[in-house]
Amino acid sequence: MTSLTLRNLKKSFGSTEVIKGVDLQVHDGEFVVFVGPSGCGKSTLLRMIAGLEDITAGELYIGDRLVNEVQAAQRGVAMVFQSYALYPHLAVKDNMAFGLKVRKVPAEERERRVQDAAASLKLEALLGRYPRELSGGQRQRVAIGRAIVGNPQVFLFDEPLSNLDAELRVHMRSEIAALHKRLGNTMIYVTHDQIEAMTLADRIVVLREGRIEQVGSPRELYERPANLFVAQFIGSPRMNVLPAASVEKSLSARGLDIGSAEGVGMRPEHISVVEAGSGLLRGAVTLREYTGATTLLHVALEGGETALVVHNGQNMPEAGEDVGLEIAREHMHLFDSQGQAIRPLARAG
Amino acid sequence: MTLTTRQARLVSRTCLIIALSVVAVPFVFPFLWMVSSGFKSATEIFGQPSLIPRVWRWQNYLELLEYQPFARQYFNSLYIAVAVTVLTLAISSLAGYALARMRFAGAGLLMLFLLSALMVPEEVTIIPNFFLIRSMGLMDTHAPLILLPVFGSHGVMATFLMRQYFLAIPKELEEAGRMDGLSRFGIWWRIALPMSRPALAAVSIITFLFSWNLFLEPLVFISSLEKFTLPLALSNFTDSYGLPLWHLQLAATSLAVVPILIVYLIAQRQIIESFALSGVKG
Amino acid sequence: MADTLTDKTSARPWRAPRLSLRRREAIEAWLFVSPTVAGFLVFFLGPLLAVMYFSLTEWNLLTQEATFVGVKNYVDALSVNPDFWHVLRNSFVFAIGLVPLNMTLALTLALALSRPFRGVVFFRTVFFAPVVTSAVAWAIVWRFLLQGEAGAVNQLLASVGIDGPNWLREPDWAMVAVIVTRVIKMVGLNMILYIAALQAIPRDYEAAARLEGASNWQIFRMVIWPLLAPTTLVIFVITMIGSFKVFDHIYLMTGGGPENGTLVLAFYIYEQGFKFFNVGYASALAMIMFVIVLVLTVIQMTLRRKDMR
Ligand SMILES: Nc1ncnc2c1ncn2[C@@H]1O[C@H](COP(=O)(O)OP(=O)(O)OP(=O)(O)O)[C@@H](O)[C@H]1O
Ligand SMILES: [Mg+2]
Repeated sequence: MTSLTLRNLKKSFGSTEVIKGVDLQVHDGEFVVFVGPSGCGKSTLLRMIAGLEDITAGELYIGDRLVNEVQAAQRGVAMVFQSYALYPHLAVKDNMAFGLKVRKVPAEERERRVQDAAASLKLEALLGRYPRELSGGQRQRVAIGRAIVGNPQVFLFDEPLSNLDAELRVHMRSEIAALHKRLGNTMIYVTHDQIEAMTLADRIVVLREGRIEQVGSPRELYERPANLFVAQFIGSPRMNVLPAASVEKSLSARGLDIGSAEGVGMRPEHISVVEAGSGLLRGAVTLREYTGATTLLHVALEGGETALVVHNGQNMPEAGEDVGLEIAREHMHLFDSQGQAIRPLARAG
Repeated sequence: MTLTTRQARLVSRTCLIIALSVVAVPFVFPFLWMVSSGFKSATEIFGQPSLIPRVWRWQNYLELLEYQPFARQYFNSLYIAVAVTVLTLAISSLAGYALARMRFAGAGLLMLFLLSALMVPEEVTIIPNFFLIRSMGLMDTHAPLILLPVFGSHGVMATFLMRQYFLAIPKELEEAGRMDGLSRFGIWWRIALPMSRPALAAVSIITFLFSWNLFLEPLVFISSLEKFTLPLALSNFTDSYGLPLWHLQLAATSLAVVPILIVYLIAQRQIIESFALSGVKG
Repeated sequence: MADTLTDKTSARPWRAPRLSLRRREAIEAWLFVSPTVAGFLVFFLGPLLAVMYFSLTEWNLLTQEATFVGVKNYVDALSVNPDFWHVLRNSFVFAIGLVPLNMTLALTLALALSRPFRGVVFFRTVFFAPVVTSAVAWAIVWRFLLQGEAGAVNQLLASVGIDGPNWLREPDWAMVAVIVTRVIKMVGLNMILYIAALQAIPRDYEAAARLEGASNWQIFRMVIWPLLAPTTLVIFVITMIGSFKVFDHIYLMTGGGPENGTLVLAFYIYEQGFKFFNVGYASALAMIMFVIVLVLTVIQMTLRRKDMR
């Protein structure tokens, strides 16, 4: 029974407000990922939950306990730091047992828990080593092991994989997913990496300048972004957003009305290339970027904008060639003048 | 004949070494002369100078023990230096930690105050401190020789040195300690201190030497022979006319200096680095 | 399964802690600094205020009472007592003789010893050795070496046909002697600071200048010396302050003599305070020393701040 409740949480450093009122309910056993641009307050929010930053205003509940003024160590949370923060003067084993020792857990119990955690993370062979004698991935596992041994109710991760190389990152990502499945704890995870967010999260929280922009499952965020910011933040390459005027005519020719929308969003992977002169949009290919499985086309549209298109396989247009672009109705996202999503695209009366 | 680059380099290097050796003479010579004269008789000292004594007079060392309680004085210096070092380590690392890592009202002001204490020589405050120590009934005890260095500008220097070092310890490590349930004191003791061994060593070295070599305070506060510290004892080898008893004085000085020099030669790298660290701060 | 991460009170209804985390941190911090603060107040700030007050009083040795006399002691020092200006002059001569000599030698040695070659460690060790030696021992040995005819230095000079003066018995030579021996004692410290600064200069700068055809002297003048400026400033102030507080060295080598030729401020304070018990007058002298040091420190801080920009 460890849900988390954040109620109008605020944080100021001196006179600058960094977290500007966050409301969030995290359910028991849920894996929640915080994403957002650099400096938006992800780490700060996580550290407030951990008890490492004090809370300027608002309420934080872990379970049904108000923990605003509870010491970090007594909140029942464990944190995995970006730099791992392993104690350099202690061997792996002592690093993992340190928290238990501080809490005066008896030696045999300590030993047993460290062994269990080490076994589940394949660390047995490394227990006698010092952190400086470990590779990045091994350090990462020790950091996770240290968090596990205390049986926390909530795990907090602050960009735990960002110091690893790409291959290891994929591997550790799946280990963390497996860990969550096995332990079933509530986990909150901060990342820059979209793929990590999409693959790990039950729900993603998109933050921007200290506020929540949208909360939802990865699929919801991808398919039904609540606003322009989320639409462009989630998905890669980022969504094309064209002024409504540039597509209005071709749309109404098909009997579609964009109403009050000011912007139309189309994900590059949803656009297909058709013969020049046909399709919803016209333009000329200015650049082709071959990435292996797909090719990224930069298309200069008639209206002057550039659209990105993910093109795979057949009928590769040459650079400079005129093309038409087509997209299915359900893949078009409409936004009003405030950048809020309007949906669905209505068929003209 | 022109020189090749290699030969030119060899020549310039040789010149450099010769020049340095010449400059080194007044740095080395006093030590050699001190040790050698400590073995000479009172008459030979003023005879034909020679680095090697004609007769090695080991008796000098026995005589100096009779002249004043030199062993006792030696021990005084030793235990006072150890006490000053231990206390300075404890107090400066506590304060240095708070100044590096904790947020509290008045921290900025405190730093400023301490910085001001850093620069002021002990000569400025020695007169009121004399009355203070006297009113505490601590005249002719070792207490002022421990208290004044620990709380004086040297202690402040140690505090800043520790603070500087603590600032460089990754914050996340201490936060991990907090998550593990350590109190502030626990973080200081079990994380910050074990990670600051180089700084602790530096503070130990310079503090020990500072106390070992202290002169003004013993001069002002100590009057009985058996409470003298080494520097005071060394300055005290005179005959009944007040003229120096050179052979005893130099033998005693050798006894005080040579062990330090031996330790210095063994650990010169570490010792020099310690001074560099404290100097950059000061 | 035990929830060791949760405190044991969690089963009970939760009570608000008495102190916010913030307050608690502040209280803990003050506990951490309390020994330092207490020592600072008792042994530094208190005495500093006391010395200011003492300097305005006259002390009666018999009754042990202080009478307030205003700025009389300062007036005494500045215009009545002829010793003061003599002493101040000596202190400045000492500083002005010592500081450039010390810094030039330190920099020269540092330049020679900042690059590795065989023997570099040996020379560094040698030049630094006097720093770890007690000033008392150093002074004793040099007093021995600098005796009139029997002294080793003069015997050495005699062997090359020079008739050395009686170093510590002639006022001007005594000043030269205490300056030079003090420089030898302390130069190692500045040398080390300069070496550290030199080694922190990226070698690319020098390489780039060399590629442009600069000579060694030009490289020093236009690349190294400007980059050393902050270090030079720090060393200058430390050495200056150090030379104003020199005491044990003078006390043991010359005792302020001959003819008060080496009577410097720190020694004068000691003499007036602890030999003649002119507590008020000595305190006024101490205040004057305090002001000199303060001015030097402020100069350093202003220059350094300018340097940062
Ligand atoms: N201790 C602090 N004092 C003052 N400002 C701070 C402090 N810590 C963070 N900030 C500011 O708060 C804002 C949010 O920082 P935070 O570290 O939470 O961002 P983030 O979302 O984690 O960014 P990143 O993705 O780069 O890690 C930033 O503008 C940062 O400058
Ligand atoms: Mg962050």
